[in-house]
Amino acid sequence: MTLLQSQTPQQVSELESFTYDDAIVRKFFWATLIWGLVAFLVGVILAVQLAYPQANLIPEIAFGRLRPLHTNAAIFAFAGNAIFTAVYYSTQRLCKCRMWSDKLSKLHFWGWQLIIVSAAITLPLGITQSKEYAELEWPIDLAIAVVWLGLFGTNFLMTLVKRRERHMYVALWFYIASLVAVTILHVFNNIWIPVGVVEFLKTGEVSSVSNLMKSYPVYAGVQDAFMQWWYGHNAVAFFLTTPFLGLMYYFLPKAAKRPVFSYKLSIIHFWSLVFIYIWAGPHHLHYTALPQWASTLGMAFSLMLWMPSWGGMINGLLTLRGAWHKVSTDPVLKFFVVGVTFYGMSTFEGPLLSVKTVNALSHYTDWTIAHVHAGTLGWNSFMTFGMLYWLAPRLFQTKGIYSVKLVSLHFWMGTIGILLYIISIYTAGITQGLMWRAFNENGTLAFPEFIETVTKLMPFYWIRAIGGTVFLASSLIGAYTLFMTWRQRPAKYDVPTHQAPALTKYYDDGPPPVSRLTSNAGIGHAGDRFLQGHWHRRWERLPVRFTVWVVVAVSIASIFEIIPTFLIKSNVPKITTVLPYTPLEIAGRDIYIAEGCYNCHSQMIRPIFSETERYGDYTKPGETIYDRPFQWGSRRIGPDLAREGKTNPNAAWHYDHFYDPRTTKGSIMPSYKHLYERDINFAEIQPRIVSLALLGTPYGDAVTNAEEMAREQARQVADSIREGSTVTELVDNLEDKQVVALIAYMQRLGTDLTRTPDEAATEEGASE
Amino acid sequence: MRLSDIMSFLDLHVWAEVALVIFLAVFALVVFRILFAPREVTKRIASLPLQDDNGVSTLEEGE
Repeated sequence: MTLLQSQTPQQVSELESFTYDDAIVRKFFWATLIWGLVAFLVGVILAVQLAYPQANLIPEIAFGRLRPLHTNAAIFAFAGNAIFTAVYYSTQRLCKCRMWSDKLSKLHFWGWQLIIVSAAITLPLGITQSKEYAELEWPIDLAIAVVWLGLFGTNFLMTLVKRRERHMYVALWFYIASLVAVTILHVFNNIWIPVGVVEFLKTGEVSSVSNLMKSYPVYAGVQDAFMQWWYGHNAVAFFLTTPFLGLMYYFLPKAAKRPVFSYKLSIIHFWSLVFIYIWAGPHHLHYTALPQWASTLGMAFSLMLWMPSWGGMINGLLTLRGAWHKVSTDPVLKFFVVGVTFYGMSTFEGPLLSVKTVNALSHYTDWTIAHVHAGTLGWNSFMTFGMLYWLAPRLFQTKGIYSVKLVSLHFWMGTIGILLYIISIYTAGITQGLMWRAFNENGTLAFPEFIETVTKLMPFYWIRAIGGTVFLASSLIGAYTLFMTWRQRPAKYDVPTHQAPALTKYYDDGPPPVSRLTSNAGIGHAGDRFLQGHWHRRWERLPVRFTVWVVVAVSIASIFEIIPTFLIKSNVPKITTVLPYTPLEIAGRDIYIAEGCYNCHSQMIRPIFSETERYGDYTKPGETIYDRPFQWGSRRIGPDLAREGKTNPNAAWHYDHFYDPRTTKGSIMPSYKHLYERDINFAEIQPRIVSLALLGTPYGDAVTNAEEMAREQARQVADSIREGSTVTELVDNLEDKQVVALIAYMQRLGTDLTRTPDEAATEEGASE
Repeated sequence: MRLSDIMSFLDLHVWAEVALVIFLAVFALVVFRILFAPREVTKRIASLPLQDDNGVSTLEEGE
């Protein structure tokens, strides 16, 4: 029985006995490890697919469908379970109480694993919203909201309310901010109309499982992009950064056996992230059709993040002051030191990449991929493994870890794996960026064929695959070590009872501060009283009020930044020749989304000379007003497609290319032969058009006649393929095949801008 | 008249910059307040994670 007392005499009430729920921590511990191995394995498969495209064996695990599975597994399954492991272990101890409800803890655990399994099933089936890190479709989105806020949030906040330690340690603040911000981000980025629900309300039935799961966002084009990258950036901030900082501020002092270097700096670190991070999202959209002011604002706030982030890193490293000799022998500290160093590297590089001129080079290249992996492998996974190794003997109640040598081996192999990965991919990214913008002396593109900039990267892609494999192998060694440690557990876990006094209902804050100044005006005295921080110390004891203020800070920033883009017409000038996609093009677009084409192709030509030379006129905000969801992309493994319909309208060429992309020598695109076998589900199209019309797309007669219109256009596209000189065998009933819908969508891309108003009027009339 | 007409007429671009200044000002106040916080209070809070150490070491091997 241990006695935990830290309160001052006036706070002390009767001692209460309690135990900690470590069984739930052990569950999350194993989930972290298992999903981590899955995420790393899928990452290695993807790396091999890029270097060796024949490894895209079946459509369900081709690169476009598998890549979202990798990112979701790494972020929400591996990092998510790591966060919960840290939260459930540290919150109970920092609050000196058991989690509020064991039942909610268990429901949270199983609910979260169920969501991960749902993702693992739906993403390979092509059920996706196509928004990065928010791909999961609407039923799973609802489940996430229930499990995250309803189960985890309630349990966590109620534990804070019922705590026995008056002061909330800074790690808890980071957890609160994560809970609040992720809830807001998730809800506002996932406002959609479910097609199946619309269809059911209109007809009393749902035509397919695909329609049941399908949704269209209420946002379109620029607004959808803005909302998505507000979410995407802050998912990194409040899922991969703030909870891991909470983890750092709790577990690093424990491993070093000394308090954090500067508690004051940790508070500054916290508030700066809450105040500043939320604004930085638009730096993901530099030089796109996003309004300039929003882009500049995102850059300015990103640059401001430099100092607090480095303050946090330095605070972490200086916590080891006087204990650096331990780092050479203690593998847990090794993981933490390298993890925190990678945090510093990533948070230096992030603001650097947000600078517009740097971003002009880096965006759409592998540079971003290297940056992200320095963060997730270096920072998130090393902090996680450090925590797991520190926790293992405590959770499994063993004398120590199974083998310190194996932990060291894991550390060194993991470090080498990360370095092989990021160095090769940094090189690939910068190489590709420079090749895209290189001009000859005569003013033409030095590498006019995009494929030249792909084949150049192959050696780096192989090195990346090797680096990823080394990292995966190191993690397997880690898993073996942790498994063997678990095997040494006692037959029955001891559950120690702790004691601490309950918090008294009324807390004496002490006398209000008195100004220490002598000859100042009233405002000077007020300022001095403010600086004494009496008010803030009160906040620190009041979790609900504290949470409310975090919500206010995050919400106000978001509202100020996002709302004007939605409501000011001049931000998205309308182009009269831009018309809605036809029903068949919508079907093709949905196939494009399901196959994950956006993972390799952008649809956003920036107003940069090398881009307009290569792809055509730059993309205007008004061109994407019917794009639900937007398809601007974030990476060009293949070329931009924003003007594909203008530069490459040949249906027969697309027919050959989708079947065998190697008709372009050196292409690493997977084959899409299955689209030549699978039929278009024409019955699905009508409800989709109705749903889009409900969101404001002016569809006219297509609202009632979409299926027939789609069939008619499919016949026309099929005829044009037959008339062309294809080398690929023409399949029977070509007009029914999915490839025809996808080709119709390709032929439409980027063509509206150069249409004359007369042509647009004719087209509009024909479509109605 | 739609909401977007009203919002366009108000010309709210400047709001983002005003918000930036407000945020910076509030953040500066928080920083000042933290710098002036009593050391003994922060020292005690900083030691909270260390209160339940039970002497287990990862460095030792289990067998």
